[in-house]
Amino acid sequence: MKRFRGMAYPYVLFICILVVVPMLLIIAYAFTVEGTAFFQHQFTLGNFARFFSDAVFLQVLIRSLRVALFTTVICLLLGYPAAYCIAKSEKRQGILILIITLPTWINMLVRTYAWVGILQDNGLLNTVLGWFGIAPLHLMYTDFAVVLGMVYNFIPFMILEISSVLAKMDPSFLEAAEDLGADKKQSFLHVTLPLSLPGIISGITLVFLPSVSAFFIPKLLGGGSYVLIGNIIETEFLTAGNWSFGSALSLIMAAIIMLSIYLTRRIDKNRGDVS
Amino acid sequence: MKKLIELKNLEKTFDGQQVLKGISLDIYENEFVTLLGPSGCGKTTILRIIGGFLEADGGEVLFDGQKINDVPPYEREINTVFQKYALFPHLNVYDNIAFGLKLRKEPKDVIEQKVIRMLRLVGLDGFAKRRVNEMSGGQQQRVAIARALVNEPKVLLLDEPLGALDLKLRKEMQRELKKIQQEVGITFLFVTHDQEEALTMSDKIVVMKEGTIQQIGTPTDIYNEPVNRYVANFIGESNIIEGTMRGDYLVEFEDRMFDCVDAGFEKDEAVEVVIRPEDLDVVPVTEGKLRGRVKSVLFKGVHYDTMVETRAGTSITVQMTVRDAKPAVSSSAEECISANDFYLDIEDVEQLTDARIIARADAQAWNPKTDEFLSISKLKYSIEPKNGVYPVTFETHSGTSITVNMIVADANRVQNKENGEEIYAMNFFKSADEIQESMALDHDLITWADASAWVLNSENEPDIRVRISDVRYTFDPENIQPGTYDVTFSTKGYEYKVSTTDRTEVGDVVGLAFVPEDLHIMRKG
Repeated sequence: MKRFRGMAYPYVLFICILVVVPMLLIIAYAFTVEGTAFFQHQFTLGNFARFFSDAVFLQVLIRSLRVALFTTVICLLLGYPAAYCIAKSEKRQGILILIITLPTWINMLVRTYAWVGILQDNGLLNTVLGWFGIAPLHLMYTDFAVVLGMVYNFIPFMILEISSVLAKMDPSFLEAAEDLGADKKQSFLHVTLPLSLPGIISGITLVFLPSVSAFFIPKLLGGGSYVLIGNIIETEFLTAGNWSFGSALSLIMAAIIMLSIYLTRRIDKNRGDVS
Repeated sequence: MKKLIELKNLEKTFDGQQVLKGISLDIYENEFVTLLGPSGCGKTTILRIIGGFLEADGGEVLFDGQKINDVPPYEREINTVFQKYALFPHLNVYDNIAFGLKLRKEPKDVIEQKVIRMLRLVGLDGFAKRRVNEMSGGQQQRVAIARALVNEPKVLLLDEPLGALDLKLRKEMQRELKKIQQEVGITFLFVTHDQEEALTMSDKIVVMKEGTIQQIGTPTDIYNEPVNRYVANFIGESNIIEGTMRGDYLVEFEDRMFDCVDAGFEKDEAVEVVIRPEDLDVVPVTEGKLRGRVKSVLFKGVHYDTMVETRAGTSITVQMTVRDAKPAVSSSAEECISANDFYLDIEDVEQLTDARIIARADAQAWNPKTDEFLSISKLKYSIEPKNGVYPVTFETHSGTSITVNMIVADANRVQNKENGEEIYAMNFFKSADEIQESMALDHDLITWADASAWVLNSENEPDIRVRISDVRYTFDPENIQPGTYDVTFSTKGYEYKVSTTDRTEVGDVVGLAFVPEDLHIMRKG
């Protein structure tokens, strides 16, 4: 092992410059007041105080978490059965995984724009509904559109994570469960499901993280008045130019994300018990 | 005793290959039954059909008199110890063992009592909270047994459960399994390819081969009275000799009459006689019933495995002429070509092909710079089926050529009526280089001399080849000089393997002693 350690140095350097230093900068910005140059910054907790004292920001945070949670739950509910079928289909597994990943070959922005065309008031969906005499539905700029866009974009991660864990599962565990008296449903509940938890956890992580901080999906499908925490951060950095407040928001998000990852890992550790 | 499982004419085919060809077998209560056979004989398939994990294509499985072909595994009163244990990695030892009980919704205190009792039975007290993948192979094995047994099945199926353990642990688990089986008093159906394991533990052994049952019997039956050569070879080591029954209790082999304890054969029926290596004794020549020469001695710790040859094989000696031949070189084309003179059996002249001539002459062409081989494109020769010397010329595309002689001569064969064999070989020519460069000289000598041996039979049946097992020569292959050398090819003679504590030296002439009880007579086929 020791001989190969040197080969990791380029990556360590890469990480230091591009991840660790920016992180430290964000922390520095978050705890300082605005100045014209970095060295004139002064320590303050005002950025955090502003966030927690203004109800609007908390509402946005709660909305962001709610949207991300919905997205994650829907991805899990739709994705698990799909992943299960993919893992069980031995011969067509490759082609099914290809179909699942196919959309990701197209740029995410373009794919999301496509939904605008489908969902808008005189869009594809409403045109088709019109043929059947159904009155146009107002779909754009709603929670529905935003969650739909997120599920559409992030569900492949959920499916891939779960199906790879399920495909690797030794079939003799299921035989053992059946042998010990478990019918199909019980085998699934007491063996397949707990054994696929690692896949579920990483699937949840991979869907929840981008959902909670997404900014262009809510911007495109939610419209200008639909604001999530990601949009506020974007605005603070790009429009308002208030880097300190933007950094503080990023840190709060990071803390929430770390907490949620920690909690899901806890579930993973305590998982599984027949009773 | 009551019949617990009855298999009736089970058949199973995988991908067009029939792995079970009509298996019928009765398994009784409280029996330790072992299915024994090499991998691919169908033993695991039988186990999986009884467990309910596979469906038979034909035949019936009866359990307690009831047909259970269509009963799913979770409704069968059968539990399995899987080959790789299949312990649930997300559960600790306790929960693994309690898995079946919890599914049956037994009260918590009852479950606890039963699990604790099982842990004690398999010797894992105090391991309840341990994670299964933190345990050794032997411990996991015990958990797997406990997990199956706690459900109080009527039959426990064990699929090569000791295969993954090292030798010492395996022996320990063999004793333990037998003890557990006697303690809980249920039927164990055990699958293994290890004959020793089968002999140690079983009440009944079922020897299988290619989807059929060869013999069913107690370990002693199967060891002492194997029904055929396959069983005799599979169970323990044996010397198998062709013989003829000359009447009840009288068998003839190696042209001598011996008393035996078998009767009921036809007079003059051809049989096979099994003598176990440990039943033979090495004695002074005058005291032996057979005599022979010690061919090899292998020390095995407690005893020696001694091979005694009572009759030599069939042999033939040919002359190898070593020449200091140089390859023909064409400097313009940068090519070398070489070939040897060779002898040809007069009977082979009719079917002679170019490829055969190239092979017999060992003709080769190559580029001396790159060592790349070149093809020989042209052969020029004329030959008649008469003894004599015929020149043959090999030529490459660019015209480099070499001419050697084909010497047509009468076939050189030795017949051995006693052993019923014939052996053939021809004299041959080689260069010193070729001998020095040979990677497997014995094998090459056989090829160069075109040596082969076959079974003599009066009918015009296709030849049954006999392996040439011995090649002897007196030259030193490393420093061979041009000249003529004898090479002798031989088949294996009659050999007996003897397990003995008496030390002998290779080359000793010894006698072999045995008593009538040591001879086990099998019908042929």
